[in-house]
Amino acid sequence: MPLFVAGLSHRNAPVELREQLALEEDKLRELLAGVAAAGTAREAVVLSTCNRVEVYAVADVPGEARAAVFRRLCRHRGVDPAAVEATLYTHVEGDAVRHAFRVTASLDSMMIGEPQILGQVKEAFALAQSCETVGPALHTLFTQAFAVAKKVRTETEIARHAVSVSFAAVELAKKIFGGLARKAILLVGAGKMSELAAKHLVEQGAFPIYVANRTWARAQELARALAGTPVPFDELDAALGGADIVITSTAATGPVVTRERVRAVLHGRGARPLFFIDIAVPRNVEASVNTLDDVYCYDIDDLRQVVDANIRERLREAQRAEVLVEREVGKFVARLGDVEVIPTIVSLRERLEEIRAGEVRKTLMRLGAATPETREAIEALSTAIVNKILHAPITKLRESSRAGSSRSWLDLVHELFGLGRR
Amino acid sequence: MHAIFLNLAILAYVLATGFSFAYVVQREELIHRLASLATGAGWALQTVALVALGHELGRPPLGSLAEAVSVAVWVIVLLEMWVERRSGVRVLGAFVLPVVLVFSLKSAAAHHQLPAIVPALSGAWLWVHIGLALVGIAAFALNFAGALMYLLQEHQLKARRPGALYYRLPDLETLDRLTYRTLALGFPFLTTGLVLGVLWAGAAWGSVFAFDPLALLSFVAWLIYAGTLAGRVLGWHGHRAAYFALIGFGALVLTLGAGLFLPGRHG
Repeated sequence: MPLFVAGLSHRNAPVELREQLALEEDKLRELLAGVAAAGTAREAVVLSTCNRVEVYAVADVPGEARAAVFRRLCRHRGVDPAAVEATLYTHVEGDAVRHAFRVTASLDSMMIGEPQILGQVKEAFALAQSCETVGPALHTLFTQAFAVAKKVRTETEIARHAVSVSFAAVELAKKIFGGLARKAILLVGAGKMSELAAKHLVEQGAFPIYVANRTWARAQELARALAGTPVPFDELDAALGGADIVITSTAATGPVVTRERVRAVLHGRGARPLFFIDIAVPRNVEASVNTLDDVYCYDIDDLRQVVDANIRERLREAQRAEVLVEREVGKFVARLGDVEVIPTIVSLRERLEEIRAGEVRKTLMRLGAATPETREAIEALSTAIVNKILHAPITKLRESSRAGSSRSWLDLVHELFGLGRR
Repeated sequence: MHAIFLNLAILAYVLATGFSFAYVVQREELIHRLASLATGAGWALQTVALVALGHELGRPPLGSLAEAVSVAVWVIVLLEMWVERRSGVRVLGAFVLPVVLVFSLKSAAAHHQLPAIVPALSGAWLWVHIGLALVGIAAFALNFAGALMYLLQEHQLKARRPGALYYRLPDLETLDRLTYRTLALGFPFLTTGLVLGVLWAGAAWGSVFAFDPLALLSFVAWLIYAGTLAGRVLGWHGHRAAYFALIGFGALVLTLGAGLFLPGRHG
């Protein structure tokens, strides 16, 4: 069963080409219907996102099917097929399985571990199902790809560490406070980015929110948007005393929060940690604030450094994920071979069981009053004989399918045991 | 008999330490499972070794400091497995097991000459004194590990350049809770153990601290922990409490070291 994937992605094709080939849903439906009608591919799923256009298909002659699908696609979009044909990559069989697993698990994404791709693959699969171009091969392939993707997400950390500045700030807060429930946030200054960071914190349970701004009306407005409380700018010290997380983003040219100011505030607040997220440029919080006990201060560059480190960590985790995927590919390919011989094995077992049960019934009837022990012994004896006889042919079938020579063996078994035509 | 099992236990602890370090570097589920397995196996083997030793001696294996340290190790490992399960801090082993290893090698080296028990050492109160003090010491070993992890994670956060440990270690709040709880667990045990020791020594020798470095040092350690606990109650948090946990455990290790190396009644 020649399975293949062909396509282009952010790795080998420029955005100009990708955007030309990206298809909306109704066009995809048309394409799938056309492929099915032409009969070059037995099964097909088309994945079309802004980063990749790929066809997963089962066809007797993969090269022919690939050309047919992409010629059709290019015709839809008015693109020169020759230019596309030159950039296409193709993987067959085991390599196609690996590609499907890696793409779905977000290992082939531009940002490793990004969560959207799994949803996009699921949509592409559902669409192909509704167009009835999914058969048993692609069904098992994608079901397994989804399972592998889930496994990769839970067993490695490729999707765990924040790759945006505002989420990185949330993660840092969690490393300091554990849970964020009931942690008070103070926004000093009102900006889009600080609002976004505050929203992320609130989603994690942070509460309440105070907003201080030089313009009272703006403080009120932002407080309303975030369900918080506006605080007069000259009462900042009191607000600092009650806050756990402070996000600063004023347009002030000098530091608004000095080391002295924080030190004075610390006395009244026990040793609860205080976390400053300084998004403003020039900075609003004196860097030396960070040297105070239980006080942490991150400016925008620090947050970017954290994001860079997070990306490096994701890449390290991706290596583990690759190992995991490789193992799953091996298992899947072995199973893929078995898929061909399983129906025969099942009917072989059923046929012999039918014979056995029938003969046992006849014998027991002839014996008349047999004790339960005798019945059990006869059942056990006949089952053992059947299993012993079946052992060799079943092993042979499994071996042949792994060696890729199952066809003649399947025919032979069907003939010998009278299982009817395949 | 007990020596074979003790050696096997130490071997298992060596493996457990190795796997725990490996788990910090490479967070594979399998490695963590192997580390837990080796830890559990080591503990079971040590249990057999201690029972065998007690049987050979015809008394609890707490008659010399080397024996007591071996029992302390046994309690530490038990506590480590329990706390790791409870708190979900899976890197705990990497911080506790090295301590376990040092202690158990030390006590095994001293084990070769099984000392005859000093005639003055007898009576159930003595065993209670030693047993309680050991549970206290075990809790403080975990207190030490928690404080060490806290300070490392705090350093990462202060440095603002996350390294490998930033990702491996849990959040500060969890670590602070761990150190506080182990302190709260260890302190009453150590206190009762020491009080019993003082009363018993007073009855047996008439004087408490005379010429016994271990008793003196353990009192210093007790003072440090008492101060930390008082500070905690008054609202100390993380940073300072963690430093005091390190100092307190340092004093405890000195105490045991003094008992192992300096002449005195605990020898």
